[in-house]
Amino acid sequence: MTTEEALLKLTGSTADEVVEVLGMFCPDGVERSQPTVLPQGAEPLRQIPLPAVAASVSYVDGVTGGNIFVMTRTGVQRLAAAMMGMDAGAVEETEDLSELELSAAGEAMNQMMAAAASATGAVLGQEVEIGPPETRFFSSPEDAADVYERTPHMTSVGFTMLGEPCRLVQLIPNAFIVRMTRALAELEAETVSSGAGVSGTGVPNEAIRAVPVRVWAELGRTRMPVGQAVSLPPGAVVELQSAPDDPVQLYVNGRHFASGRLLLVEQEWAVRIDHVLAPAGPATTDQGGAT
Amino acid sequence: MARVLVVDDAAFMRKMLADVLGKAGHEVVGEGANGNEAVEQFQALRPDIMTLDITMPEKDGLAALKEILSLDASARVVMCSALGQESKVLEAIKSGAKDFVVKPFQPDRVVDAIGKALT
Repeated sequence: MTTEEALLKLTGSTADEVVEVLGMFCPDGVERSQPTVLPQGAEPLRQIPLPAVAASVSYVDGVTGGNIFVMTRTGVQRLAAAMMGMDAGAVEETEDLSELELSAAGEAMNQMMAAAASATGAVLGQEVEIGPPETRFFSSPEDAADVYERTPHMTSVGFTMLGEPCRLVQLIPNAFIVRMTRALAELEAETVSSGAGVSGTGVPNEAIRAVPVRVWAELGRTRMPVGQAVSLPPGAVVELQSAPDDPVQLYVNGRHFASGRLLLVEQEWAVRIDHVLAPAGPATTDQGGAT
Repeated sequence: MARVLVVDDAAFMRKMLADVLGKAGHEVVGEGANGNEAVEQFQALRPDIMTLDITMPEKDGLAALKEILSLDASARVVMCSALGQESKVLEAIKSGAKDFVVKPFQPDRVVDAIGKALT
């Protein structure tokens, strides 16, 4: 995987999260274009229509780098209206943006980047934490020229949100993209090797494909004497031997099948599979985990 | 009806939460914009329940939660998280938060979470 491919992959997955989060506020109101890698030394905000509002979010843990989401003034007003459940098309355009509208833009950025950081963290195999958003108003190109630190790599992707153009610029240091390239290459290698296994003996034949199986996720487990177990009163707290960011283990009919990360999908727990275990031996009969 | 403290760094989210909770018959007795204000306001107001954002400047919601629970182990705190912050949510629940809501949230879900945490 080349550096350019890794950059485009990173920005593409971030853009997908942007569309998903913005889509919750304005269904059918968001489209994205293909990401591009900006030439070295480019001024990332040179092409934006002004005046504009830029909301930026940095990573605070895991990796360094930054994300800037630039919106038109009208775009911010429409987005704020949509976030409040109002008709974005009926917004009366004004010269000045209210504090509430700017705050809504920052909050939307916070939610988009939290989702994107989670997707990036899944690729890197570690949690990526974001900082609070910063919102700025730019009325001229000079305003925007030196506000953000230049990084060796920069990408840009355009969106249309509620009829208004907006743009995400990612500022990406070398160390980040080196790790990302390596992690993506490892993921590709794993996909190829597990794919070979599945095409062998792992896939059940047609006749048994429809058999329902029980699937459960194990959050953690512990051991205790039976006397203690049977005397647990309601309200007792049982500590599990796992850290909050440990992967959860997925079992299919008692067989340890995969590990992954807990996610929330429409207010319900879900598991994103990180690793699928190679098919091996007889099923373990281990069913003792707390779920 | 409960006396609620709302803590979020975005003025927009504080207003949304105050509107939703007000319509549900609760009284928003105070607001905070970071973790330090969360702890200060909790001590000053002793609300029945509070909502607490996770990503905030100065002191984040998890650090504030732990401080508040060390001041009052029976404090009722409902966390507000963005998508993708599952491990933070788990840590908050493990630390003693009563429930959580994920942004962008549905008003009903917020009112439900507050109602359940109060019982």
